[in-house]
Formats: sequence, C-alpha cells, structure tokens
Amino acid sequence: MISHELKAVILSALKVNDWELTDQTVAGEVPGWDSLNHINVVLAIEKHFGVHFKGVEILSLKNVGDLQRLVDCKLAKH
Amino acid sequence: MNQVHSLAGTMWHRWCDNAAKSPDSVAIIHWKAGEAPRRWSWGELIRTAELYSAALTIGGVKRGDVCAIIAKHNPLLYPVYLGCVCAGAIPAILAYQNPRLHPEKFREGLLGMGKRSGLDWILTERGLENILQPVLGTGRSTIRGLQFPFEGNEYLSGIASDAARRAVHEMNESDPLLLQHSSGTTGLQKPVLLNHRAVLEHVKEYGKFLRVSQTDKVVSWLPLYHDMGLIAAFYLPLTLGIPTVQIDPFEWVLAPSLLLEAMSVERGTITWLPNFAFSMMADKIQEEDLDGVTLDSCRMVISCSEPVRYRDQEKFFERFAPRGLRRESLSSCYAMAETTFAVTQTPPGRDPVTLAVDADALSKGIVRPATVTSTTRFCVSSGELIPGCRIRIVDEEFSDLEDRRVGEILIKSPSMFDGYRNYPEKTAAAIRDGWYLSGDLGFRDGAEYYVIGRKKDIVIVAGNNIYPEDVEAALSELDGVIPGRVIAFGEEDADFGSERLSVVAETVLTDEAERRQLRMAILKAGMEIEVSITNVYLVPPRFLVKSSAGKPSRSATRERVLRLKQSEMMMRSGEQDDLTRIESGDLERAQGQ
Repeated sequence: MISHELKAVILSALKVNDWELTDQTVAGEVPGWDSLNHINVVLAIEKHFGVHFKGVEILSLKNVGDLQRLVDCKLAKH
Repeated sequence: MNQVHSLAGTMWHRWCDNAAKSPDSVAIIHWKAGEAPRRWSWGELIRTAELYSAALTIGGVKRGDVCAIIAKHNPLLYPVYLGCVCAGAIPAILAYQNPRLHPEKFREGLLGMGKRSGLDWILTERGLENILQPVLGTGRSTIRGLQFPFEGNEYLSGIASDAARRAVHEMNESDPLLLQHSSGTTGLQKPVLLNHRAVLEHVKEYGKFLRVSQTDKVVSWLPLYHDMGLIAAFYLPLTLGIPTVQIDPFEWVLAPSLLLEAMSVERGTITWLPNFAFSMMADKIQEEDLDGVTLDSCRMVISCSEPVRYRDQEKFFERFAPRGLRRESLSSCYAMAETTFAVTQTPPGRDPVTLAVDADALSKGIVRPATVTSTTRFCVSSGELIPGCRIRIVDEEFSDLEDRRVGEILIKSPSMFDGYRNYPEKTAAAIRDGWYLSGDLGFRDGAEYYVIGRKKDIVIVAGNNIYPEDVEAALSELDGVIPGRVIAFGEEDADFGSERLSVVAETVLTDEAERRQLRMAILKAGMEIEVSITNVYLVPPRFLVKSSAGKPSRSATRERVLRLKQSEMMMRSGEQDDLTRIESGDLERAQGQ
C-alpha cells in the first residue's frame, strides 16, 4: 500500500497532477518518470523524509512498492 | 591467435596483435554495482571471440551480414561483438527495449531500422525471444533470424577451438567494420557504415592527439549504441591496447556516483561525458556516496555530444576539486558519428579556452568581447582540429567566413562516412562537394573552434538527438489536438545542464478536466516513441506562428512561447523557477496582454 505522503512527493517531483500508484507500479508507467528523472524523485523523497538511500539500494528497487518498503525501513531505523 | 596475412590493416588484426603482445593484460573491465568486476584479459577475449565467430558462422552469419546486437549490460557483449567482426559480419549495437515502449512499437522501430540498415540477424538474450520473434517473416523484414549468443555455453556448445580458428574470415581494410546510428527516434535513425581503415586511422590519430600511453585507462558509463560510447570508450582503448572500464548506463543514471567510484578504484585516467552529466554529478551526488573516492588519477574529463556549458564545467570542477580533480583535466570535444567521432579536441594538459562575449552581437553572428554594459555569454571552446580534419565556417551562400564570425560548420575528414546507408536523399542533403554539412553553428578564433548553436531544429536532451518532426508526427493525430497544429522544440534548462523537450499544441478544448486528459495523452504519446516531454503548452487555434511558406514555424513559435513565458514570469515574481509552473491558461492570458 502506497502512502498518500509518498505518492504526493513522487507526483510533485514529476510535476504530475494525479496518477494512480500501486505497489506494482513501475517508473516507466508514470508520465515523466524516466531514468533521467529518477534521481530527482529519489532526492525529493530523501529530502522530504530526511533519509538517505545508498546507490545499491536505489538500484535494487523494482517498483513503487519496493520504494515504499525502503522508506518505511529507513524511517523505522530513525 | 590467427595471423592471416590478408587481415593486415583490419581491426581484427589489430586486436589479435594486442592479444599476442600481452595476452594476460586486461582489455575490458565489466563493472556492475555491488559485484566484483569481470575482467577480460586480451587472450581470453580473443579466444572467446573466435568461438563466437565460429558459432555465428555455423548459425548462418556470412561476411558482410549486419548483426544487430540487443542486450542489457552483459559481460558477454564484448566477445560477441568481437566475434561478429572476426566472422566478417558488421555489428550494430542497438538500444535495449525500453519498458515504456509497447513491444509492437519496438518491433516497428526495428523493422524501420532494418529497412535502412539492412539488418540480417538479431543477436540477443533469450528473454527477448517472444518480443522479437514476430519481426521474422512479416514480409517487410530483412531480418533472417534470431540468435542467442548471450546464453553463453549453451550457444557455444560443440564449438571446438580448431573450428574457431578456421572461422576467421578473410577481410580487408576497406570492408565495412561497423554500423552506428547517427541520431533520431527509433526507426527513423540514419545508419552510418564505417570501414576498418576509417575507424583504425581515426582512433590512432585521436589517441595520438590525446597523448594516450600504456598507463591510461578509460572509464565509461556511455551506452555503446552511441558513437561517443562506441568509438571513444570502446574502439579507442581496444585499438590502442589500454583497458576500458564499462559501467551499465542504466545503473549510472540511477546512481551517478558509480562513475567516480569506478574511476577511483580502477585508477581511471580518461572519461567522456555529455554536458548534462557534469551538471547532474555536481548537483545530485551526495557526499555520503563519495567515501574514499579520489580523482587524482584522472587526467581528462572530456565534454562531448552536447554544447559545452561554462557554468556546468565550473560547478563540476568546484564540486570535485576537493576530491583531487585538477582544472587542467577538464576538456571538450566536437564529434559526430558521420566523421567516425572526433573533429576537434582540447589538447591535453589544459582546460578549454572560454570567451566572454557580447550576447547581442553574437546573436547577429559577430563575436566580440563582452563589455560592462553588454549581456555576457560564455562560449567554451571545443578545442583544436584533430590532425587530418578540416573545418570551414560558411555563410548561407557557402562563402567562407573570417575568424570570429558565426556560420555553419562544414567538415572534411579522412575518416568521414560515405553516406547514410540506403538513404540517398539524406546523404545528398548532408554532403556538398565532399564537405559534411553539420547543421551546427559556430565560429573559429585562431586555432580554437566554438560550437554555439544549431541551424537544424534538432533538440538535444542529455546527449540524445531528437527530431521535432518525429514528435510532431506522433502527436498531431491525438484526439483533442487540431491535426497538424503541433510544434515541438527544445527549451534550455540550466539546472539540468541540457535541453528539455517542449510541445505546443493547438486545441479547441476549454474544459479543464479535458485539457488535463489531453496533456496526459500527449505525455503518453511521447513515451510511446521513447521521448520524455517536459513542458506541454495547450494553446487556442491560430496560436502557432506561420513561416513564409505557410507552415507552422518552430523557431517563431518557440520565440513566441518563450516571450510570453518571460512576460508572465516577470508579472508574477521574476523568479526563474516559476517557468516550469506556468500552465497553458497562463500562456493564453499572457498572450492577451
């Protein structure tokens, strides 16, 4: 389940008004979420939640569900 | 190693020579994040390439066949590629299927490409079999079969090494060596065929200019379907016998610190980057990702494939100087697939010359120093001519211009292409009296050449050339867009360090929900042709500015949009950040001012 907060941060970074994001959504399905923009999405999430992702963590993400779990995991460690 | 006399002067002969001299030296380091790098020694690389050559030949590949190679970042790519050359075939690395792209569109792109390139075989991964199988036997296809060399031992089973030795075909230096695609949307790309001699001569001359020595090591994340990745970061090191570190482009773009990590760990000395990468690495890499990274081994970071932006060079240097980057390591190059690769280059040991010029005079084609009252534009030199290359700067009548006058850049080079394969009309438009018409605008100042803009309407986004007509064709049939009333153009994005793709579309829709839907439809249509549209401006009928020929003019419409945005921005807050938030309604209101 993708939180409203994460969804809002992602869509804001992509400058997209609204788009359904589920656990299975992959970046390529969302307008503007291409490989060049991915780093902007990641940085926006890091800034918003006050967390840092390592390169290998970013590379292991397969879908938005993975991203949500990574954010949750980082926040739990705080 | 095979040392057949008839191979003299060919790339394969050169590679075999390198392997014979230092069989245990490392040729290629395949870099994968979080894994130990795979190191190919020269001996192993050539032996495996010979096996692939034999297997390809048994599979039906003949001398002169074009083999499209489609694979993810794979350690077998290198012996497969060299194996094609060994078999006398012509390898052409193509981009992997973008997950955004519908498989049918991907196949259409391949068929379109095949029509020009004459693709005979696709060498790929088993995972793409179902997607690619339908391209065979469509009646429109030149493609004779799929082969799966990336399955490794399964593909090579039964190939004895003596068969491999016999599989080295006769070839000579004037045979085609490789096919690379110049630019454009998939299916509309222009294929450039280069022979052994052209590539060998070019990389030898370019290497000499760069003062490449046996202590050099190339590090690259560049895709090998791009000339910068293929010629500069693959052929050059393999020809000159120095190691090259190959990073996955998809991994680099998600984690850009990988390049610096590889540079540091491998003690790399040379890398090539498009301008946006300078900006991206300076802005987006975090200090936590640079633990232990040092760039003191790096002697050249060469900006190429996009206009060199002074601001991005400077911020890259400031950001990484504390990590050991030296100012004289900054460098720039002007290159294109049609001339094999480089035409001009900053000599090693110094950073590029930068001129502060009067921007207004420059827009009129005159280069003169900026004054305290003028608007200043910094022009970064792309360096000096590589020996053998010649450049003319000409006006509209093809008359030569003197120094410090802006005109079109025409090029002649010993390693120039003969023309686009099976594309006589594009060839005729690109070559005049033996000179290649680059379509780029620039000027000369002494020995230095500056590229400052384009005559053609190409948009360059992160080093990739996009033709506006491809985008316009994809959008003009969308429901809600007035047919044919759409313009695509590039907008400079200083923070991104490159251009962004913008679209202006005329529509009669006024309902905001319908307009939102149309905007999404435009973004999706862009995704289907593998381009990312950043700005969508929906405008009322008769907004597009017509050219004298009665067609919508890209440059005039672009000027109109930018002028309206500027006036709207000034009315709001005067902050540049507001540019991206301007919606179509604002544009329409601004238009009414």
